[in-house]
Amino acid sequence: MSKIKLILENSIRSLKDSDGRIGLLTQTILLAFLLVLTLTSGSVQHYLADNLDQMLGSDLVIESHTELDKDKIAKLTAMTGELAQTALANITLTHKDRWARARLKLVGANYPLQGTLRLSDGLGTTEQISQNGPKEGDIWIGPRLAARLGLNVGDSLKVGDALLRVDAILLHEPDRIMEGHNVDMRAMVSHTNTTAMLGNDNRALHRYLLAANVPQRAEIEAWVSNNMPAATLIKKHGGQHPLSAFWTRTENFLGLASVLLFFMGAVALDMTNRRWLAKMRYRLALYTSFGTPMKTGITMAVGEWLVTFIATTVAALLLAFAAFGLIIGEMQNIFPGLEANPDFIAAAKTTGLVFLLLLALKAPSFIQLAQSSLLSLIRTQSEGTYIWHRLVFGLLSVSMLAVAYSDNWLLTGMTLFAVVIALALMLLLTWSIVKVGNLWGRHRTGLLPFSFFIAQQRLIAKSAQIMGLGLCGLLLLFTMMLMRDLGGMMESHARTHDGNLLVSQAHEYHVQALEEWAGQTGSSIRTLKPFVSAQLVAINGTKLDDYMQKPSDTLATLKDPIRLSWADQIPENNRLTGGTWWAQDTENWQQISTEPEVMTDMELEFGDRLTYQIEGKSYDFTLVASHAFKSGASSITFWFQVPGIARQHIEAPTRYMGSMELPETAWPALARLWQAHPSLSLAPLKELTERFDRTLAMVTKVTSGYAAMVLLLSLFVLAASVSGFRADDRLKNGLLMSMGFSNRDCLRLNFYDWGITALIAAIGAIAGTWIAGSLIYEEQFGLTYRPDLVWVSATVLMMVSTVCLIGYLACRQSLKVSVRNLIAA
Amino acid sequence: MQNKIELTAISHHFETGTDRIELFNDLSFTVECGETLAIVGPSGAGKSSLLSIAAGLEKPTTGDVRFILDGNIADIRTLRANSGFIFQQFHLMPELDAISNLALPLRLKGNKAAFQLAREWLEKVGLKDRAHHRPHQLSGGEQQRIAIARAFITKPKFIFADEPTGNLDAKTSESVTSLMFECAQETKCGLVIVTHSNRLAVRASHTFRLQGGQLEQAA
Ligand SMILES: Nc1ncnc2c1ncn2[C@@H]1O[C@H](COP(=O)(O)OP(=O)(O)O)[C@@H](O)[C@H]1O
Ligand SMILES: [Mg+2]
Repeated sequence: MSKIKLILENSIRSLKDSDGRIGLLTQTILLAFLLVLTLTSGSVQHYLADNLDQMLGSDLVIESHTELDKDKIAKLTAMTGELAQTALANITLTHKDRWARARLKLVGANYPLQGTLRLSDGLGTTEQISQNGPKEGDIWIGPRLAARLGLNVGDSLKVGDALLRVDAILLHEPDRIMEGHNVDMRAMVSHTNTTAMLGNDNRALHRYLLAANVPQRAEIEAWVSNNMPAATLIKKHGGQHPLSAFWTRTENFLGLASVLLFFMGAVALDMTNRRWLAKMRYRLALYTSFGTPMKTGITMAVGEWLVTFIATTVAALLLAFAAFGLIIGEMQNIFPGLEANPDFIAAAKTTGLVFLLLLALKAPSFIQLAQSSLLSLIRTQSEGTYIWHRLVFGLLSVSMLAVAYSDNWLLTGMTLFAVVIALALMLLLTWSIVKVGNLWGRHRTGLLPFSFFIAQQRLIAKSAQIMGLGLCGLLLLFTMMLMRDLGGMMESHARTHDGNLLVSQAHEYHVQALEEWAGQTGSSIRTLKPFVSAQLVAINGTKLDDYMQKPSDTLATLKDPIRLSWADQIPENNRLTGGTWWAQDTENWQQISTEPEVMTDMELEFGDRLTYQIEGKSYDFTLVASHAFKSGASSITFWFQVPGIARQHIEAPTRYMGSMELPETAWPALARLWQAHPSLSLAPLKELTERFDRTLAMVTKVTSGYAAMVLLLSLFVLAASVSGFRADDRLKNGLLMSMGFSNRDCLRLNFYDWGITALIAAIGAIAGTWIAGSLIYEEQFGLTYRPDLVWVSATVLMMVSTVCLIGYLACRQSLKVSVRNLIAA
Repeated sequence: MQNKIELTAISHHFETGTDRIELFNDLSFTVECGETLAIVGPSGAGKSSLLSIAAGLEKPTTGDVRFILDGNIADIRTLRANSGFIFQQFHLMPELDAISNLALPLRLKGNKAAFQLAREWLEKVGLKDRAHHRPHQLSGGEQQRIAIARAFITKPKFIFADEPTGNLDAKTSESVTSLMFECAQETKCGLVIVTHSNRLAVRASHTFRLQGGQLEQAA
């Protein structure tokens, strides 16, 4: 009993010194961050599962980019009894001289199979319920679309060749969930007059809603996987929500972010740990001198750590729940109806995980504690610092965390690689600068040689301090740089784009209309590159779904049709990054080149056989080369390219992608073009920037939150590093003053000391950032890494001066104490 | 009941890379409960090492050390649970006040009356009014008094003191020495003191001089 009381007393007392407080705060922040992540993720997943159950509008949904023929529909209907057909297309709706891009849903007569539609007569009037979709000749439009086009119920609207009447405002449909985070404006019409509205644009996404019982489901599933390789089956029961992959990827990205944060936390903890260990060893040695067995002492130390962890947990839980409520509030924009119902089991699991990780970080110290000896109280003994153990152990555990969390191997690998290189560089620099400084100072007198001498004596502790600070600087610098550059890129994307109107998809017959229209309005077509819509269905004969379980952005994109382009020579805006490009007059048309990132994420190798489904037919290509974007020429590039001759073997309509430059006077005439060709995908720069702004706002929110966390942890590391070395500095200062040096000399010495520390750390941080930047920018964002020298040097200057200032303040404070106290401490 | 530590034919040396530091050869002596033993000698003679060996903290290079508690041969753990230390640097816990420092060993042994006993001992060493002062607010002599009380408070069978007055001036040394011997007499423990002060040594029941690797019984 008295021992437990003693443990509690010790824990509370340990919070009185700065090391203890910094340690506690760091742990709390880390745990709170991970808890928020877990709780939010739990809520979203719960929401997704819930939604899938209630809001799919059917038991099964088959999603395909090609329309099913009559036979297949008949077969499916025979298997289930109930089938509702829907199609989705992006079109431009025009009313008078206003236009808006919208997602048009064409629904069959028996849509929806389950659930109801919610409608209203006008903006802000009462809701009505409908069991069916709109009648032929009617259109229902979403409230935002109505506002944008200035339409009211009763107005008429021309879509393609069809004249439709606005019959109701569409508030909600049961399979709305399929659209998920899509914030496009929406409209719904009957499926009957598809051709009139879309022309023969079969770029639409076709969905077949099926009602089916359990045996039917199995039958359908088997049939779909055998007969429709390019289709996706979405199941209500035990199925995967279409948004879950998106969310998994988001989580994985946040996972990498938390790994980095944990890394910084580990650095701060390691720094406070140095003093903790010394204190504990002393305490344990004393305990032994009273006849307390070593085991009891270690148990007490562990108990004390446990008490601290419990305090951490309580504080972190409070913090996390508060933040969780706020974040869910924010996220209701993306997931309407999302509720903040915390998953306590998941929270407990995360706490357990953090407990294990922190324990793992602390374990080497507990083991070292066992070596504390009473003898050290009689005469001073050297103690090992185990820097390699700590370093290797720390890196290893962080890497393992990364493996568990991140799916983007390339990004994770590059980040860790940059970190390791930066650490090695800092170590090398520290050792060589201190050694050289010592050599230089050996036959000299003065403060600088003396500070080198001191640094040499504390080389290992110094290296740890420098590496910790440098790592922090690296992460801080990189996060801030990334934030700044991503923002900058998004803003300038629109500006550097050639032309002010992006042609994201045009048909052969559109091209003619475009050219005519351009001629009439004085606009010019900058680039138009041909492609066919192709869906990757198999790799080396293995179906894409079976090929890879690991979710990634690339895989998610490849589940939909992509643009397959052709070229005899490497396009001007591409460069070869691997393999060999085909000869200009090659006979072998079944060759393909892709981007290196696709290869890495999909684990592709040269020689692999890629099977594409194009217009219902299969085509095989052998992977022979890889290409990457090169800035300078046009900005339009393709993930996959095949030889020009291949085009003759592929039966599919050619589409075009490109850009146009419109004079100011041409803009009002756009409505006319769109009225005639609603399926023509054009994205005006203005709209593009608007979209970018929305994305940017979200990205900025996330990255600022993350940067704030990084900054906070950096402060902890800095505080830990100053506090951890204060006792040493105090002793050194006392010694100096007792030898007749003045206060000013001591301050100067400290200044040298912190200056050298900060400088090496800054060099390491910059080098690391530079490596990470040149690796990651190119590969992940298609940006050439051009560090802004002024910005980098300003940041470094700020870092160094912050470190020096804090070091100076700490030193001044320690100098206030008299020499006697300095020595006694 | 018989409590003693027997050292027979002890030799000790340190190896440091190339050098070999010979401390002593073939020493034998016995420490018994109820008697005080002083080891004197010049600095570097190996006194601390000898004390460490006698306290079971270090193993001698050759020779035999036996701990006998209550008539039975005891292992080092048992000895540790029955012994206390007094150090040249006092080694009070800096974060604890005087009374908490004193109560600490008792609390670690699970004694409920720890603070009560600590108060009594504090009074005995004449520092009753300093109970809530932290070590840095006390003089060296005061700190050592508390350290002595702390060593004796658990009533160990042996106390090992390494230069207990080494950091104190002559006058303070005198009173600290008296306190130590009084306590030893009262608790009837075996007290081993390493010192270079002859004034201290003469108060012990036996005095050994360690010099040139030889142990001579003095007067
Ligand atoms: N761990 C060690 N390694 C090497 N030499 C040591 C070690 N500990 C003590 N010595 C040496 O042994 C000699 C005796 O030390 P010590 O027992 O502390 O002497 P005393 O207490 O009599 O001054 C000294 O010369 C000291 O330098
Ligand atoms: Mg000694």
